[in-house]
Amino acid sequence: MLEGLVSQESLSLNSMDMSVLERLKWVQQQQQQLQQVVSQSSNNSPELLHQILQFHGSNNDELLQGSFSQFQMIGSGFGPNYNMGYGPQHEAMDGCISRTSSCQMEPVDTMEVLLKNGTKEDRPISLKNKRKQEVKTREEENTEKKIKVEADTESSMKGKSNMRNREASSETSKETLKGVSEIPKLDYIHVRARRGQATDRHSLAERARREKISKKMKYLQDIVPGCNKVTGKAGMLDEIINYVQCLQRQVEFLSMKLAVLNPDLELAVEDVSVKQAYFTNVVGSSKHSIMVDVPLFPLDHQGSLDLSAINPNQTTSIEAPSASWESQSQSLYNTSSLGFQY
Amino acid sequence: MVNSNLFPSIEATGGESSTESRRKKPRISETEAEIEARRINEESLKRWKTNRVQQIYASKLVEALRRVRQRSTNEPDKVVSVAAREIRETADRVLAASAKGTTRWSRAILASRVRAKLKKHKKAAKKSAGNCKSRKAAATETNRIKLPAVDRKLKFLGRLVPGCRKVSVPNLLDEATDYIAALEMQVRAMEALAELLTAAAPRTTLTGP
Repeated sequence: MLEGLVSQESLSLNSMDMSVLERLKWVQQQQQQLQQVVSQSSNNSPELLHQILQFHGSNNDELLQGSFSQFQMIGSGFGPNYNMGYGPQHEAMDGCISRTSSCQMEPVDTMEVLLKNGTKEDRPISLKNKRKQEVKTREEENTEKKIKVEADTESSMKGKSNMRNREASSETSKETLKGVSEIPKLDYIHVRARRGQATDRHSLAERARREKISKKMKYLQDIVPGCNKVTGKAGMLDEIINYVQCLQRQVEFLSMKLAVLNPDLELAVEDVSVKQAYFTNVVGSSKHSIMVDVPLFPLDHQGSLDLSAINPNQTTSIEAPSASWESQSQSLYNTSSLGFQY
Repeated sequence: MVNSNLFPSIEATGGESSTESRRKKPRISETEAEIEARRINEESLKRWKTNRVQQIYASKLVEALRRVRQRSTNEPDKVVSVAAREIRETADRVLAASAKGTTRWSRAILASRVRAKLKKHKKAAKKSAGNCKSRKAAATETNRIKLPAVDRKLKFLGRLVPGCRKVSVPNLLDEATDYIAALEMQVRAMEALAELLTAAAPRTTLTGP
């Protein structure tokens, strides 16, 4: 009987685009079927019926009350114990519903464990989780997320169907679901166990850590030239170290050069126009590639200082680096020659 | 029997919520660190490349060099290497200052000057500092046989980036990214300044008396 129920559920829940109303109707259908089933059999174990009660009860208070009434109508086999038992259970279920969404996974565990008798493994898990998901998303009032979340759980469930470790799968499903459901509140690090990979807490954390590190290595790869050809962390680190040392050496060399040229600093910088030229030069030279092992010596530029055809207004343009070089040096020539005609 | 099925679930949920709350705290701090790391990575590549940053750095560098020049005119006899070291340190400090204290290496560079001054005073009093260092190095070499290659390289990188010797691996990589971008900008600026000066220099020598 239960298998029949289950198969029907799976058929109806195959399409992910069911609206909320459709689901409610389906649930009511289930209820009716349950009525029939219960009335037919009188030898059901109390546990099974109890689960079904839980199953339905978790969705809707009304449903729960409806099933309550059904069970009360049933014969004396259950007796008053059930009423007593269901009292606290009802509160518990309410408590579960009112608490955060992760609590609701607990009854699923018990149901999973108890429904394994004779039913397939995949479908009950996926179906129960789908129902739970549905409830959660209804609580959050986010219909878009529902589809995504259900897709997530379904894929994650399918991925874990190979593994015979029920507790592990329920734990990780809890984790993933927790991560998904809490995204609107906090930015959780959402880690999902992929198919055929270990799902214990430690390996998940390690995998998250490794992914973080590889992301940062990719950033470094973008900025350091020549890193694309090498694969593996060791090679990339070699390149990075090499590059940093190269840059530091360049800085030292340039500082030595500036130390030699320092007396000229004040003379060259006093003129405002020269300052402007300097800044534009800096900006213009930003387009040069810096991948030079030896800094360029400006000996070749001195020959171009005699160009008088270039407009000094070109100093403000940043288009061609070479043009700005020549124009800047020409302006320097003009100003410095003016300066030394005392 | 019915109750026994129920109550474990309730207790489990109770326990679950407490572990949840415990787990939430490290998660929150992690996400903050994640945001910080993402900011460093994505922005550092861009922030050291903007023209404005370059102009700020260039102007500050010029100012600092002028001050260094004025200070060194008091002592005319200076070896080029000493002057070069001074200029490099000044340039590094200006670079660290333009980082506005968001990165670890910049804070280390700015702090190292103070530390160096303190050490100078201490060295005048004590002269056994050198022996301590050599003893330490020997001890660590004998204790450790050989680290895996990647770890060795990471340590070396930590030594290269100022102030990042005992930093965790992801933070070290972040700092290295920012440091490399900053160094690139520094090289560009100093090259431009050098070019400017060398272009101006022959004019002065030629038109001198």
